Amino acid sequence: MSRATVAVSRRGRVALTAFFVAFLVVLYLPSVVLLIFSFNDNTIPVFPLQGFTTRWYANAWHDDALRAAFVRSLKVAGSTSVISTALGVLAAYALTRRRFRGSNAVTAFMLVPMVVPPIVVAVALLMLFRKGPVAVDLSLWTVIAGHVVISLPYAVLLLVPRIAGIDRRLEEAARDLGASGVTTFRRVILPLITPAILSSLLIALVVSIDEYAIASFLSANSETYPVYLFGQIRQAEHLPPMIPVATVMLALSFVVVVLAEVMRRRGDRRLGL
Amino acid sequence: MLLPAGGWLVLFFLVPLYYVFLFSTGVRWQGVTKAAALINGELTSFSWDLWQQLLGPDVDLSVVGQTVSLPLWVVGLGQVGLLALALLGGRFGRGGRFVVPASVVLLALPYLAIPWGHGLHRIAGLTSPENPSISLFFRSVSMSLTVSIAAVLLAFPIAYYLAFCLGDSKYRWLVIVIAPFLTSYLLRVLAFRVILTDQGLVNTLLFDLGLRDRDNPVDWLLYSQFTVFVVLLYAWVPFVALPIFVALENQDRRLLEAATDLGASRLVAFAKVTLPLAAPGVVAAFLFIFIPTIGEFVTPQLVGGNEGYLFGTAIADDFGQNNDWQAGAVLALFLIGVVLALTAATSRFLRATGGET
Repeated sequence: MSRATVAVSRRGRVALTAFFVAFLVVLYLPSVVLLIFSFNDNTIPVFPLQGFTTRWYANAWHDDALRAAFVRSLKVAGSTSVISTALGVLAAYALTRRRFRGSNAVTAFMLVPMVVPPIVVAVALLMLFRKGPVAVDLSLWTVIAGHVVISLPYAVLLLVPRIAGIDRRLEEAARDLGASGVTTFRRVILPLITPAILSSLLIALVVSIDEYAIASFLSANSETYPVYLFGQIRQAEHLPPMIPVATVMLALSFVVVVLAEVMRRRGDRRLGL
Repeated sequence: MLLPAGGWLVLFFLVPLYYVFLFSTGVRWQGVTKAAALINGELTSFSWDLWQQLLGPDVDLSVVGQTVSLPLWVVGLGQVGLLALALLGGRFGRGGRFVVPASVVLLALPYLAIPWGHGLHRIAGLTSPENPSISLFFRSVSMSLTVSIAAVLLAFPIAYYLAFCLGDSKYRWLVIVIAPFLTSYLLRVLAFRVILTDQGLVNTLLFDLGLRDRDNPVDWLLYSQFTVFVVLLYAWVPFVALPIFVALENQDRRLLEAATDLGASRLVAFAKVTLPLAAPGVVAAFLFIFIPTIGEFVTPQLVGGNEGYLFGTAIADDFGQNNDWQAGAVLALFLIGVVLALTAATSRFLRATGGET
């Protein structure tokens, strides 16, 4: 008996395959519906379909407010991604290579923002910035402050196992050959964790670019793209011009996710995992 | 080297939470001056008043038509006790086989709900007539619990199929299953607004099949608790498949072969070998959705309408249209307290599959 037949009978296999296919269809249905409606020639997104048009794409392309919001989002996501990955690399290295009393507690603390509802992070930061000891005007920087908090756990989770997986003897060899701590880190550790760094950058980018709660409370007048989108799609008449945006963004983020995964696997292979 | 990350978290996470505490106890207020704050009805000196308003009023526990009024702390303590039994019951040896499932059922019973039509139909129920915030909290827990259970039930066969029915291609399919979870949440919610409206995909399909009259669409598909349930479920199922897949994939297949060699049927082998070994992964999967969705507020705001209002939405509104930061601060701290307590209590499950993919 092969492995598969031990776990699943032939009939069970057919049923499971059917269920899996149905699941995938339903899972991807909303995206397909968006794609279809992005070409639908009607001012409200309802059935029956009215005919083919590309004017929603043209509208979206010429929507200056949308473009501005999008540029802001890119700024925020880019900064968040760089800052949280940089902080994550340093923290992950310290947590794996300089074991100390309470390092488990510190790791746990760094992961806490992952389970805290973003709305709580958002309102807490709002109170600090508005009524704290130093008055801080809300801006894209305040959004970045919050986004780094919520994307740091992902960076730590991605980087700690990679650094822990590096053979210590590589570092020892570098040190024996006279490399300083910084050189060892730069020439030995960094190249080995580059794939993990890239996926950490990408994940932070994905987390930040789609983040609504923190951005809505901390961006004041400089709305980021999800905040702008949210404002638009709450009104039915503003819905259709947003659909092409949604379609393009979904396609793009899908590509990014798959790329990140491919890179991570390649990194695993490099470490022989 | 820990300093940059640690410092950032202290400055932009711990200190802000301390400010939430200050607001919730009236040490800080919104008004520009003390007088202005007083006029707005804000607290201007330290007091536990707002906490008493939230935690003071009694809670109604209704089971099969019977209603008992209990102080909130009794209910809370009861649930903590049940949670402890559920987590530690296994140590009672043979008795644990009974204690664990019994306490899990008792724990879940007041929150179990079926979202259908207008509203969330609960078997038993916890409400607090004098205290809308706590009622709302129970409703949010109800929603999270129902979504989590449904998601685990849906994701299990998917993970099982990936782990046992596919060969080397399983990882590729796993990425295809999980990818939607990592794409824009807001945009996927947007898609549901198109699918579930009165003239959306579902209703049009019902019209065309002659199941429903064109003038009489199913009106609770959008802007109801049902919508929130469906959208949350849809959003989280792919993610839940992951920890279950990992648990199934890491099992020693020889155990299963041994069971069948010794004469166990597939069903028995599944119940006695596969399921117990996958249990930690399943529990982790459940917690991965249950904990974060308690504070969910984007979905109810976009597709929930008035019926779909949840606890997270109430917090957002206190800092938005209601403009009552002190009230919102109490709710936010209460939420984070519950979430962190749950996380700490169940961390052994979360860690089991945590960074493992």
